[in-house]
Amino acid sequence: MIRFDDVTKSYLTGIDALSHVSLEIERGEFVFLVGASGSGKTTFLKLLLREETPDSGSIWVAGRDIGRLAPARIPYLRRNLGCVFQDFRLLPNKTVAENVAFALEVIGRPRGVIRTQVTQVLDLVGLGQKMDRRPHELSGGEQQRVAIARAFVNRPLVLLADEPTGNLDPATSSGIMKLLERINKTGTTVLMATHDVGIVDEMRRRVIQLEHGHLVRDQARGIYGDASDTQSRGYSSISVGAVAGDDEELASMPYRQTRARRGRR
Amino acid sequence: MAVSFDYVAKETAANLWRNRVMALAAVLTVAVSLSLVGTALLLRQVVNRQISQWSNNVSLQVFMNADATPQQLSEIRVLISQEPQITGCTYLNHEQSYLQAKQVLAGEPTALEALTPAITPTVFRCQLQNASDAPAVAAIFNGVPGVFQGHAQFPAQSVRTMQRITNILQVVLLAIAIVLLISSLVLILNAIRMAIFARRREVSVMKLVGATNWFIRIPFMLEGLVQGLIGAIVAAGIVLLSNIGVNYLVRRYLSSSTLPLGQLISTEVVVVVIGVVVGVAGSTIAVRRFLDV
Repeated sequence: MIRFDDVTKSYLTGIDALSHVSLEIERGEFVFLVGASGSGKTTFLKLLLREETPDSGSIWVAGRDIGRLAPARIPYLRRNLGCVFQDFRLLPNKTVAENVAFALEVIGRPRGVIRTQVTQVLDLVGLGQKMDRRPHELSGGEQQRVAIARAFVNRPLVLLADEPTGNLDPATSSGIMKLLERINKTGTTVLMATHDVGIVDEMRRRVIQLEHGHLVRDQARGIYGDASDTQSRGYSSISVGAVAGDDEELASMPYRQTRARRGRR
Repeated sequence: MAVSFDYVAKETAANLWRNRVMALAAVLTVAVSLSLVGTALLLRQVVNRQISQWSNNVSLQVFMNADATPQQLSEIRVLISQEPQITGCTYLNHEQSYLQAKQVLAGEPTALEALTPAITPTVFRCQLQNASDAPAVAAIFNGVPGVFQGHAQFPAQSVRTMQRITNILQVVLLAIAIVLLISSLVLILNAIRMAIFARRREVSVMKLVGATNWFIRIPFMLEGLVQGLIGAIVAAGIVLLSNIGVNYLVRRYLSSSTLPLGQLISTEVVVVVIGVVVGVAGSTIAVRRFLDV
């Protein structure tokens, strides 16, 4: 579904945001993208959406090399990629139903289709009763559900979520994760960038870790941090821990297996 | 991809309303500038009609001295017959000339009292092929013995003067109109920029969910078009009013008939087209510069 082929991307500062990243994500997978701030997660997502283009290497989405996409075709790529953000990005002057409907309106879906799909997806996220509320009348968790409904209403192949639980308390977050799992069960590939240790550790899904733009770990059924460091799996231990010192070496090892074995506590 | 008409109409109307002060400023500037353009065009048409009418029956009047000898008169007749520009000529003798002078001087009894048929200059009234040649033809007669100097070319000269004045007036009106059109273009551009800024959240969501570039652009461009169009329609109304005024003046002071409907309509069409072009141009520049799609 998604394939990165030796992708490098650097910004004007000269620092590589992504450096020789290769990976493949299959249809229907649920993948966590972890790493400290500045490790390249956001660049990864931007490249997928073609908000940025790689300096070298190629990116394939649904069998198409998106680097070779004509600019006029980019909107059609984005229709296949639903997007959810930490800050929800709902339109404050529209109701819940209108926010979700907007995503279909602007890609020219007929009105009858819009009505049924909006009702369906709002029932799916559990907001069928709050269709006529405005975003500011909803809790953070509910707002994120609306955002997910908007991202999913067009049945995209992939759902990209950039720290969707970043603004939410743990209980609410786990509700959101249940929703994402449910969406994943419909066959939608879910790629979620996150800092939330608890969620990653609990879900035990594939984990891709980026560090200073390098892919340092790709682990099936992984956890957030370095498994050997169970006392403090926090954010700081990952960014400055043992992993950071020998990026190159680790990246070249058959890493997934090693980590996976060590990962089983 | 079909852009739904409903959606575009709704968005455009909502944008215009949200941005109504800016939109009003843009619309009014378009209206004022296009009124000037339209009025200048009307004026030109009226003047051209009048001038061509005058040109058709313009006459060169050669005033003779009252004491001109019959020989001098016959020399003038020869000159007239030799001049190819002159298509026809009538001679007014002292009595006929006196009758004409009585009409011309009706408002000045003292001047009239002093005048007798005997001292009234006799006149050759000639029709010319081409009105604009009148001064040149008149020059032939000035200085010929027996010709009373300086009176020969007066109808053509007034035509010239009028043409010159209206030309200057037109240039001034068009210059003002062009300056105003540029400022209305800038105002429309700014109005659209504000609209884009006000809707940046919507625009970013639209890009995210895969709306095509044209789908995002069209409501903004249409907004500029509508502003230009409304301004142009107001201007068309003002031009219609000024046409009524011009017609009144024409009937009162000039001999030509009022402007035919066809010319009025084509003037209005020009006004509306310019308005639409200004609106579309302003919004296109704004969309290209400020809407990053």
